[in-house]
Amino acid sequence: MPMMFLDRMPLPRMKTYTMLSLMLLASAVFHAHQVTVQVLEEPESVFDSDRKNASNVTDSVEFQPSNTTDSVITFLGVMVDDPWCIWTLINMAYCCLILLGKGIQRLVFGDLRVSEQQHIKDKFWNFVFYKFIFVFGVMNVQYMNEMVLWCAWFSVLGFLHILVQLGKDRFEYLSFSPSTPRWTHIRMLSLLASILLTSLALLTLCTLVGLHAGLNTFAFMAAECVLLTVRTLYVIVRYSIHLWDFNKKGVWENRGSYMYYTELVFELAALSVDFCHHLHMLLWGNIFLSMASLVICMQLRYLFHEMQRRVKKHKNYLRVVHHMEANYPMASYDVIDSNIDDCAICWDKMEAARVLPCNHMFHNSCLRSWLEQDTSCPTCRTSLSDSRSSSSSQAEELTETVPDTPEATTPNRQQRNHFFHFDGSRYMPWLPSFSVEVTHTQLLGAEPQLQQSIQTSQLDSMARQVQSMFPHMPINVIMDDLRVTRSVEITIENILDERLLPAPSAQLSRTGSQPSETLSTQVSTSSSTDDSMIFYAGGDIADGAFLDNDEVLHSSLPDTNSAENVLESFGSRFSKCPTEREVILQKRKESLVQQARKKYMAKRHRQSNSGSECCQQGELQSTGSSSSSNQHMGEGDCESRRRNTLEQRRSAMYLAARQRLESQNGLS
Amino acid sequence: MAGSALKRLMAEYKQLTLNPPEGIIAGPIDEENFFQWEALITGPEDTCFEGGVFPAQLTFPHDYPLSPPKMKFNCEMFHPNIYPDGRVCISILHAPGDDPMGYESSAERWSPVQSVEKILLSVVSMLAEPNDESAANVDAAKVWREDRDGFNKLAEKLVRKSLGLPQ
Repeated sequence: MPMMFLDRMPLPRMKTYTMLSLMLLASAVFHAHQVTVQVLEEPESVFDSDRKNASNVTDSVEFQPSNTTDSVITFLGVMVDDPWCIWTLINMAYCCLILLGKGIQRLVFGDLRVSEQQHIKDKFWNFVFYKFIFVFGVMNVQYMNEMVLWCAWFSVLGFLHILVQLGKDRFEYLSFSPSTPRWTHIRMLSLLASILLTSLALLTLCTLVGLHAGLNTFAFMAAECVLLTVRTLYVIVRYSIHLWDFNKKGVWENRGSYMYYTELVFELAALSVDFCHHLHMLLWGNIFLSMASLVICMQLRYLFHEMQRRVKKHKNYLRVVHHMEANYPMASYDVIDSNIDDCAICWDKMEAARVLPCNHMFHNSCLRSWLEQDTSCPTCRTSLSDSRSSSSSQAEELTETVPDTPEATTPNRQQRNHFFHFDGSRYMPWLPSFSVEVTHTQLLGAEPQLQQSIQTSQLDSMARQVQSMFPHMPINVIMDDLRVTRSVEITIENILDERLLPAPSAQLSRTGSQPSETLSTQVSTSSSTDDSMIFYAGGDIADGAFLDNDEVLHSSLPDTNSAENVLESFGSRFSKCPTEREVILQKRKESLVQQARKKYMAKRHRQSNSGSECCQQGELQSTGSSSSSNQHMGEGDCESRRRNTLEQRRSAMYLAARQRLESQNGLS
Repeated sequence: MAGSALKRLMAEYKQLTLNPPEGIIAGPIDEENFFQWEALITGPEDTCFEGGVFPAQLTFPHDYPLSPPKMKFNCEMFHPNIYPDGRVCISILHAPGDDPMGYESSAERWSPVQSVEKILLSVVSMLAEPNDESAANVDAAKVWREDRDGFNKLAEKLVRKSLGLPQ
């Protein structure tokens, strides 16, 4: 509730606040100056003034007339002694701190995002709350000057903490974008580095104070400082790893482990420092039944759980690493060389890889991060868990089925497709039946195609599968084709393309051109994954796969629509410049909608069978106007202008569509 | 983690741009945030959604491709497998661990070898062939099962709406 109240409290604007602070300071300086002059003129009158501080006596004793340094000393003495002046000074210091913060924000971060503002707010109130508890609940500060010192210390630290939090948030946001200007990175990193230096300097200050005031004070002061240092270092290290990784071409095989261990070390360090700090507070506070100790205990409990969670996670990680090293050997170099596919998880080149029992290869780090959360092969879903539970009997059956197919066990790169059918209902009525087909898209034309005989039982089940979709095709034709293609998918495609006719003579003439056709269709479905997996489970999924093929089929049909050509000309280019990419994407989207609209209207026309002469006219007009604004968009770099043209084009399109519809209605 | 996700998303974006599937366009809404995409999906031919261009938003997690993205249609949709608020409910978008409907086999669920393209193609086939057994929108499933003509009419309306044409 107090938070809500504070949120709604009308805080003065920064400018007003600064002005007020300056005015206060000026009046305080004026006051102090007057007092100084007074003191300089008649030292004895100090006692007549309203201030009764003892230090003034020493001032007046040390006083030597007409000396500028002395007058300055007196002036400062007045400033420090007068409570009113002190408050003004403190206020001014906070004002300066806020101004500094604003300046840094302007310089480094620019406008803050909503989530960053929220984080800062949370962090700020959290910090204020805990430090309040610390100062009044634990330290039980009695003297004003002591309190002021602690407040000053925590203000500086809190300020730096907020900056680090901001830096962390911003870094995470920047890591979402591939096109951050170098200058931004430099500014961010230099800010973080200066925070780190400041925190180190503060740490030295702690030590100096600690030598004076004892070990406890040192520990209390240093804890927050160390925490700040650790957090700053963490952000810096993560930032550098990210930058290094992103600017590096190719794969950084050990990146995952570096990332993981930095995270582990820094998180555990921060947690343990915080934990020790809270424990120290609890023990030092000495009053175990107070609100403060209650809060500290809750915080301790939370920290302990966090540490436990982290350690558990690490144990899991180690288990996965051991499991991987024990069970999945690294692929030998010639296997990697012969494997032209990329890692299916990160889509990067394979330079070193681990091989799963199902012969699928992945990067070490990619595989590890997947196995941390799942225990199956990402590609074929073969269960990999060493302790097979009875609940996963289905998966067990699957793993037993896999070695049965000879192609799956031997790492032979000549093979093209694996197909295995699992009929669960043969074993248990409730087990599902499914077929798994692995299509290798290593379509090297130069390679001699080795005709490997597929087991007849596999071929049978494949043929049955195809025939269930096309009952009119004779089974021997399907079998013949399957022997060549060794893929249900491709055979279905052949049937759909009417390359496979019920008469076997037509089929013979077709087989010669088969590989190239396979290439064209396969590339469009799964051009960069190594294996495209198709699961047929039950009836409706098979239909889904069928439809996918249908889609592909349509894409390979020649299209006479001019908008389509426009689309393709955009599609054939992937610009390096992000803004250009954005524009191209926008254009492609627009042309897709436009084209769809045209198609839709054309269909309508055909259906209504009315004279489409004048409607065609309207359509042409609309395309003309939109293409002219198209050019506008390309020239206008400015975002608002782009938006404007977009709006214009949209309204033009709606207008044209409405006209068309009206004319259509009039005709019909 | 975000670094590898970013690289992968970049590769996918590139592939979808250079070699787009018919009737599908997808890319980041803003180049500054590669984890928010917009996709335009054309309704498959010879279905009630034929011709419509439906915008959808894809939100990727930080650990993509280890976790699946979330997909939400930004336009009004009436479909058994799309929640009334636009969220898409298909098995490929569910992590292997969670199973909101309770009967998908893990083989159909998310795995890192899936991709944006495969998701969008699955969504296209979902538009063509609603699975009314695991209905996210019960009303839509009911209309689809009992009143196909009514469903087609509603879909037609949505198609017109998605194209910005008056009803």
